[in-house]
Amino acid sequence: MDLHRHPQLLDQLAAAHALGLLRGGARRRFEALAQQHAAVRAAALDWQHRVAGLNEVQPETDVPAAVWTRIDNMLSAERDQHAMTAARSAPAARGGWWNSLGWWRGAAGAGAVATAAVLVTTLALNQRMDTQIDDLRASLQKQPQVGYVAVLSDEQSRASMLITVDPRRGQLVLQRVGDYREAADKSLQLWALPADGAPRSLGVLTRNGQAKLPLDANALQAVPALAISLEPLGGVPSAGGPTGPVLFKGALIHKTT
Amino acid sequence: MPTPHPPDAELRTLIDRIAARDTTAMKALYDRVARKLYGLALRVLGNAQWAEDALQDAMLQVWRTAGDYRASLSPPMAWLSLIARSRALDQLRRRRAEREHLRDDIDDARAVELVSDEAGPLDSSLASQQAKALHQCLMRLEARQRELINLAYLRELSHSELAQQLKMPLGTVKSLVRRGMEQLRICMARFA
Repeated sequence: MDLHRHPQLLDQLAAAHALGLLRGGARRRFEALAQQHAAVRAAALDWQHRVAGLNEVQPETDVPAAVWTRIDNMLSAERDQHAMTAARSAPAARGGWWNSLGWWRGAAGAGAVATAAVLVTTLALNQRMDTQIDDLRASLQKQPQVGYVAVLSDEQSRASMLITVDPRRGQLVLQRVGDYREAADKSLQLWALPADGAPRSLGVLTRNGQAKLPLDANALQAVPALAISLEPLGGVPSAGGPTGPVLFKGALIHKTT
Repeated sequence: MPTPHPPDAELRTLIDRIAARDTTAMKALYDRVARKLYGLALRVLGNAQWAEDALQDAMLQVWRTAGDYRASLSPPMAWLSLIARSRALDQLRRRRAEREHLRDDIDDARAVELVSDEAGPLDSSLASQQAKALHQCLMRLEARQRELINLAYLRELSHSELAQQLKMPLGTVKSLVRRGMEQLRICMARFA
C-alpha cells in the first residue's frame, strides 16, 4: 500500500511511532517506508518534534542538595587535572606529581616511580596528589567511553602528553600536560607503533592545550605503544614514517570497563 | 521571525561556557535547570533515588557533550531535556531488568500515580515554544488521554502495558491515544 497517499493513516502511524507505540514488525515496516519516502519521513519527524515537548512539560521538583555535591566531586577531577599541570611546572611539585601518576603506566612506570620517590619534597603535597589521583581514577571509571589511555613521556620519564581514546565516538583526545612547545615552523605528529610493522600516523597536533583527532575504530588493534615525533610544519605522510626525532613515547593501555 | 526569548539566550551562553570547560557555568546551569530535569526523571522513573542518579548522569553528559550542542540546532531546554530523558530511560531499563523476576507490581502502581497528578499550569519559563504549545494543547485533552500519552512516551510503554497498568480495555486505550494525538496535531498546528 502506498502509505504516503493515505494522509490520515500516515499521520496516525507517525504519531504512534513517535510515542513508541509501534512495536516489532510494524515499527520496522514504518521505518523502512520512512527511509524510502520523504513524505513519510517528514510526518515521522514532525511527530517526533511535537512529542519531544513532553520532556519539557513535566512538573519541576526540588532536588536533594547531595546531588550537586556528587556532580561537583566528579567535575573536580577535571579541575585537578589542570591543577596537576600547574603543579608540574613548579620544581618542587615535579617528583610528587610524577610519582602519583605512576599507576597510569603500569610496568613501564615502575622504574620512574622509584626515582620519583626520592624527589618527593613534602608529605602534604604527596597526599594532595593522592587525592587528585583517586578523583581522577574515579572520574575515569565513571566514563565508560574511555577505551584506551596512554601517558607519553620524554627521555627523562617526564609525562608530557595524556591521551584518551573514545572508541564509540571514534575520537582520540590529546592533552598536553608538560611545558614542551614546538618551534613555530615545526609540528608534533602522533604515531601508532604496531607490534609488527611500521609506525602509522594518527594525525598532527594543534598548538593549543587539547586536541581531538578522528580515529578509525580498528586503528589501535594490536598497537602496544604510541609515540610523538617532531616534524616539519603540518607533519609528514604516514607511509614514510617519522622523519624527525621521537620526543615522547608511552604504552597504550586498554582500559577494561 | 520570532526573537528567541531571554532564557534561551542565557542557557545557550552557559552551555557555550561549559563547552569551554567553565565549571562555574556548570553550577549556574544546574541551578537553572536541575528542578526541571529532575522532575522529568522522576516522572520517568517514579523513584527518587533512581531519578537522582539519572540527573547526575545527565549533567555529566552535558559537561562532556556541551561542545556538540550548537550542531543539534535545538532550543537549549529541548536539548537538555532529551539528554535527561535518555539517561532516565537507561536507568529504567536497567532497573526493570534487575527486578524482572521480582514482579514488583506495587512499585508500578505508585509510579503511575506520580504521573497522573500532573495537571497544573506549566511551571517553567524555560520551556521551548514547541513545548509550551504542546502543554496548552495537552490541557485541552481528557485527563485519561493526557495520562496515556505521557506514560507511553515517558516510560516507553506499549498499548497493552498501558491497558494493564491503567486497568482499561486495550481497545479503549488504542482509541483514546489515537484520538488524543489527532486533537494534538490539530491544536498544535494553530501555534506553528
